[in-house]
Amino acid sequence: MKRNLLVSVAMIALTSGAAQAQMKFPIGEDDTFNWASLEEFKAAHGDLSGQTLTVLGPWLGGDKDLFESVIPYFEDATGVDVQYSGSDSFEQQIVIDSEAGSPPDVAVFPQPGLAAGLAAKGQLKPLPDEVGQWITDNYAAGDSWKKLVTYAGPDGAEHVYAFPYKADVKSLVWYVPENFEDAGYEVPETLEDLRALTEQIAADGEKPWCIGLGSGGATGWPATDWVEDMMLRTNSPEDYDAWTTNELKFNDPKVVKAIDDFGWFAKNEDFVAGGVGSVAATDFRDSPKGLFESPPACYLHHAASFITTFFPEGTIVGEDADFFYMPAPADGSLGQPVVGGGTLFSVLTDNPAGPAFIEFLQTPLAHEIWMAQQGFLTPHTGVNPEAYTDETVKRMGDVLLNATTFRFDGSDLMPGAIGAGAFWTGMVDFVGGKSAQEVADQIQATWDTIK
Amino acid sequence: MDLFLLAVVTIAVGVLGCVAWFWGSNYILDTVFPPRGPNAGNNIRRAGMIRPWLFLGPAILFLGIYLVYPVLNSLWLSMRNASSSTFVGASNYNWLAGDAKFRESMINNFFWLLVVPALSTLFGLIAAQLTDRIRWGNIGKSLIFMPMAISFVGAGVIWKFIYEYREPGTEQIGLLNAIVQAFGGTPQTWLTIQPWNNFYLMIVLVWIQTGFAMVILSAALRGIPEETIEAAVLDGASPWQIFFKIKVPQIMGTIAVVWTTITIVVLKVFDIVFVMTNGQWGTQVLANLMYDWMFRGTPDYGRGSAIAIVLMILVLPIMIWNIRNVRKEMR
Amino acid sequence: MEGMAGQKSSLTWLVNIAALVLVVMWTIPTAGLFVSSFRDRDQISATGWWKSMTSSEQTGFVRTGTADDQTQDGDLYVLEGNVLGEGQSLVGWGTRSREPAAYKAGETAELDGAQLTVNEDGSYRLESTAPFEMRRGERIFVTTASPPHFTLSNYSRVLSAEGIGRAFMNTMTVTIPATIIPILIAAFAAYALAWMEFPGRALLTAAVVGLLVVPLQVALIPLLRLHNEIGIGKGYLGIWLAHTGFGLPLAIYLLRNYMAGLPREVIESARVDGATEFQIFRKIILPLSFPALASFAIFQFLWVWNDLLVATVFLGNTREQLVMTGVLRELMGSKGGEWEILATSAFISISVPLLVFFAMQKYLVRGLLAGSVKGG
Repeated sequence: MKRNLLVSVAMIALTSGAAQAQMKFPIGEDDTFNWASLEEFKAAHGDLSGQTLTVLGPWLGGDKDLFESVIPYFEDATGVDVQYSGSDSFEQQIVIDSEAGSPPDVAVFPQPGLAAGLAAKGQLKPLPDEVGQWITDNYAAGDSWKKLVTYAGPDGAEHVYAFPYKADVKSLVWYVPENFEDAGYEVPETLEDLRALTEQIAADGEKPWCIGLGSGGATGWPATDWVEDMMLRTNSPEDYDAWTTNELKFNDPKVVKAIDDFGWFAKNEDFVAGGVGSVAATDFRDSPKGLFESPPACYLHHAASFITTFFPEGTIVGEDADFFYMPAPADGSLGQPVVGGGTLFSVLTDNPAGPAFIEFLQTPLAHEIWMAQQGFLTPHTGVNPEAYTDETVKRMGDVLLNATTFRFDGSDLMPGAIGAGAFWTGMVDFVGGKSAQEVADQIQATWDTIK
Repeated sequence: MDLFLLAVVTIAVGVLGCVAWFWGSNYILDTVFPPRGPNAGNNIRRAGMIRPWLFLGPAILFLGIYLVYPVLNSLWLSMRNASSSTFVGASNYNWLAGDAKFRESMINNFFWLLVVPALSTLFGLIAAQLTDRIRWGNIGKSLIFMPMAISFVGAGVIWKFIYEYREPGTEQIGLLNAIVQAFGGTPQTWLTIQPWNNFYLMIVLVWIQTGFAMVILSAALRGIPEETIEAAVLDGASPWQIFFKIKVPQIMGTIAVVWTTITIVVLKVFDIVFVMTNGQWGTQVLANLMYDWMFRGTPDYGRGSAIAIVLMILVLPIMIWNIRNVRKEMR
Repeated sequence: MEGMAGQKSSLTWLVNIAALVLVVMWTIPTAGLFVSSFRDRDQISATGWWKSMTSSEQTGFVRTGTADDQTQDGDLYVLEGNVLGEGQSLVGWGTRSREPAAYKAGETAELDGAQLTVNEDGSYRLESTAPFEMRRGERIFVTTASPPHFTLSNYSRVLSAEGIGRAFMNTMTVTIPATIIPILIAAFAAYALAWMEFPGRALLTAAVVGLLVVPLQVALIPLLRLHNEIGIGKGYLGIWLAHTGFGLPLAIYLLRNYMAGLPREVIESARVDGATEFQIFRKIILPLSFPALASFAIFQFLWVWNDLLVATVFLGNTREQLVMTGVLRELMGSKGGEWEILATSAFISISVPLLVFFAMQKYLVRGLLAGSVKGG
C-alpha cells in the first residue's frame, strides 16, 4: 500500500515535470512572443484551478501535438487541466456526444456548417457579444470572419457561437522554382498569364498540372477548392455569398461558368499529368509528388497551405518548392480574392473554463506559439509576424492579411449534404465526363430536396 | 494494475452473476414446483412453462434495451423532421421513394445480396473441405481466416495496393494494373468503372467473409458422424459423391445459417464502401447513404432513420423463412 | 487395389494443389500489406511491393555545396562531394530536370559556366574559373540503383508510440469481459430456443435474426443518452454492456443452430433419466457445443478487438481511455496518407486475434467427434 503511494507520488512528480517540459518556449524568454498578453490574461483568470476542460477536435498525429503545445500556457495561467482528444470521425462523434447529453466542454469545428446545425439545436452556448466585436476589430477581413461564426440559435436569434482560431489559405499554386528556371517559365501574375503558361508547357510537350481529387470517403473535395477560386475570380464576393446560401442557384450560368473554368484546366488531356482519367483516381496526398519527379511529371499544383506535409521527405519549402498566389484576372476589378479555411472553437457546456479558453485564444500569444512551429496561419493583425518560422510561411500569412476579399471555403459553408456530399460527387462526375451544366443541375436538384 | 484488477473483478462478477442467476433461478423454480411428490406432473408442467423465460431472461433484457429500443427510436425519428422537432408523417419515406441515390443504393444492395453470400459460402465450403483433408490444413485455415482479423481500414489499404492506378507506362504500385501492364494492357482506374466497380468492392467483402464461412462450415463438416461416410466409402462412392450427396445435405442447416449471416452483413455493408469509394461512381449502398444523412454536415435524423427502417424491413423475408424453418424443426 | 491407391494419391495431390491455390489467392493481398510494413513511405508510393525484393532504380537530385563550401585549387574554384547514399550505385546523371540521365559516369558537363564531373563512385567535382556565388546548391540529377532495403523503423515507431501500453491494457479490459459475458447469456438463450417448448419460440428465434440487421449507427445516440441518464455515463461498464448487447443476436443465432443440430436421443434420454434442464444444459449441451462456442468467441473477440466506433462513443477517447485502435489511428495523422504506419498498425493489431485463433483451433475440431455421440 505504502509502496503504491510512493509510486503514485513519483508518477505525479513525473507527469508534472512532463507538463513543464511540454512548454516549447519557456515563458518570458523569447522577445518574439507577446508574453505581456499572457500576463494580462493570467491576471484576469487566475481563479480556475481544479477545473478540467475537455476539448474535442479533428486533429490527430502531428497536428494534435502542435495544438497540445499551445495548451500548457493556458493551463499555467489558469490552473485548468485541459484534456484534448482528437477523432478522425469528429463529425459523427460531436453529433453523438452532444445529442446524447455528454458533450465536450469545447469543440473544434473544421466546418461552420456543422457548428451552425448544432447551434440551431441549442447544443452550443452563445459567446459574449464582445467576442463578435473583437473579431471585427482584430482580424483582417474581420467582418467576414464574424459572419462566419454568427448563427441562428434555437430561438432564431443570431449570436456569435464560435471563435475562429487557425486558418488555411487555399488559393495557392505550388511549383518547383528551379524547374521553372530550367525550362524558362515565369511565375504568372494574372489568371490570363496562368492560362498562357499552361498552354505553353503543354506546347513544349510537357504536362502542366498535377491534379488529384482522391481522398477516400471525401473524394472530390480538392475540386471544390478550384471551383471556389474560379467563382471569386469571375464573380463578385456578393455572388459568392449568395452561391453558398443558394440564393444564387447552383445551376446559375455564373456557377456553371466557374465549373467550366476549372474544367479548362482539369479536363484537357494535354494539361493534366496522367490524363483526365487519373484526376479523380489519384489521391490528393500523392498528387503533388509529380512536381518532384525527374523529369517532372508536372509543373504546377493547386493546393492549400497544408499540402507541404505531403511533399517528399526532405523537401525544403522555399527552396525545393515554392508557391505563388493563384492569380486574379488582369482587369483587377475583383481585387485579390482569397479562399481560405479555418477551425472554429465553440463552447458546449457551462464549465467556466470554456469561455476562459476562448478568451485565451484571443491573446496574441496563443497564436504566436503555434506560428513559431508549423502549419499555422492567422488573420490576427495584433500578432508579431516575426514569429513565423520562415519567409515562406510569412508570405502565406501575408496572403491572408493582405487579401482584399477573404472568403471561407464555400463547400464548408453549404449544408453538409451539398458541401460534403453532392458537390464532391458532382465534381467527380464532372471530371468523369459529365458536362458542367448537367452536374450543376444535379447538385441544385439535391439542394432543392433538403430545403 | 488497478485496471487489470478491475477487469478481473468484472469478469468474475459478470460470470458469477450470470451463473448465479441461471443456477439460482432454476433452483428456486425446482423448490417451488418440485418435480416429485404428489403434484409432480402438475409441477413439471408449470415449471416447464416458466423455465424457458428464466433461460431467456437476460438475453431478452439485453436485446430489448440495446437493439429493440433503438429500432423503435429510429421508427419514431423517421417520422419527424431533420432536427426531430416536429412530426412530418410519411414525408421522409415519400422523399426516399423519389430519391435517385436511394434507388441506386437499393439496386446496388440487391447485387451485393446476390453475389457476396453465394461466393463467400461457396469458397468457405471449398476451403473447409480442402483444409480438413491436408496436413498443413491448420496453417492454411489460419491464412484464409486472416482477412477476418484485419480491420476494415486495414482492408481498405490492402486493396488500395491491388486497385491503385498510375499513369500508363509508369511504375504501377497497384498489383492488378501491374499485371495488366506487364501483359501489354492499359492500366485502368478500377474503382471508377461503372458498374463493375461494385463488383470489385464485393470481392473485398467476399475475401473477408470466406474465413467466417470456412470456420463455421468446417466445424459442421467435422460433426458429421463418421459411420455414414464409412458406409458410403464401402458402397464405393467417389469422393465427389460423398461430398455432394452425403456431406452437403447433412450440413444444409449450417450452410443456411452462414448464408443468412453473410446476407445480413451485406445488408449492413458500410465500412468497405465508406473507405474505398464513399458511394461515389455509382457504388452507393444503403448503410453508407444512411450514414451520410445522419452524420455528414448538417445531420438529418429523419431521413437517416427512414433509410435505417427500410434497411431493417429488407430483412423481413429472412425472418419469415426462419419462422417456417423453426416450425418445421418442431414437427 | 493398386489402381485405387494411385487414384487416391493423385486425388491427394489435387487437394493439396487446390488448397494451395486458394490459400495463395487469399494471402496475396495481405502479403502486400506485410511487405509494405517494412518499407518507408517514399518506397511505398514509388514501386509496387512485389518489387521490393529486387534492386530498384530511382531518379532524384542531390544539391551541390554552396559558395561557402568552395575551395581553391590553383586557378580553379572547386566544389566537391558525393551524390550516392549508402549501398547505391550510379546509373546516370544530368543537370537538367528534363534530362535527368543525360550523362554517364565519368563524363563532364557544362553547368552555368562551370564544369561538372560525376564519377562511378558518386564523387563529383564542380570547377570554375570564377568563384561560385550561389546561396543554394546546384541540382545534380542522379539515377541510382539501390539494393533491396527494408526497415524496422515503422514497427519501432508504432510500438514506442506514447500510451500504447496503456491502450493495450485498455483494449484487453474491454475485450475479455465483452467476449465472455455475451457467450454465457447467449448459450442459455440458445438452449431455450433450441430445446424447450414454449409458445412464441419460432417468433422469438426470427426476432433474433431480425435484430442482427440493426445498424449500429442508429443505436449509438439513444443508448449513450440512456447510459448518461441512468448514471453509467462513459466507462468500462457501459462499453461491456454495449458490446454484449450488440454481440448477442449473432451469438444466439449461431449457438441455437448448432444446438438444434445435436442428436435428439441424447437429450431425451437424459430427460427420461430425470435430469433437470439445468443439468442437461451443463453436463450435455455445453460440452457438446464447444466448437460453436469457440468459433463465436473468436468472432466476438475479433469484432471487439478491432472496434473503434463503439469504444470512442461508450468509453471516450481521452488519453486514459484510448484503446489500441484509437492510438494507432492517432499515429496516422489527421489527413491520412501514412500508409506505412497503417500497414504496420494492421499487423500489430492482427497478431493477438491470430494467436487467439491458433489457440482456439483445437477446440474447433473437437466437440462432436470427441463427445458422447459415438458412445451414446
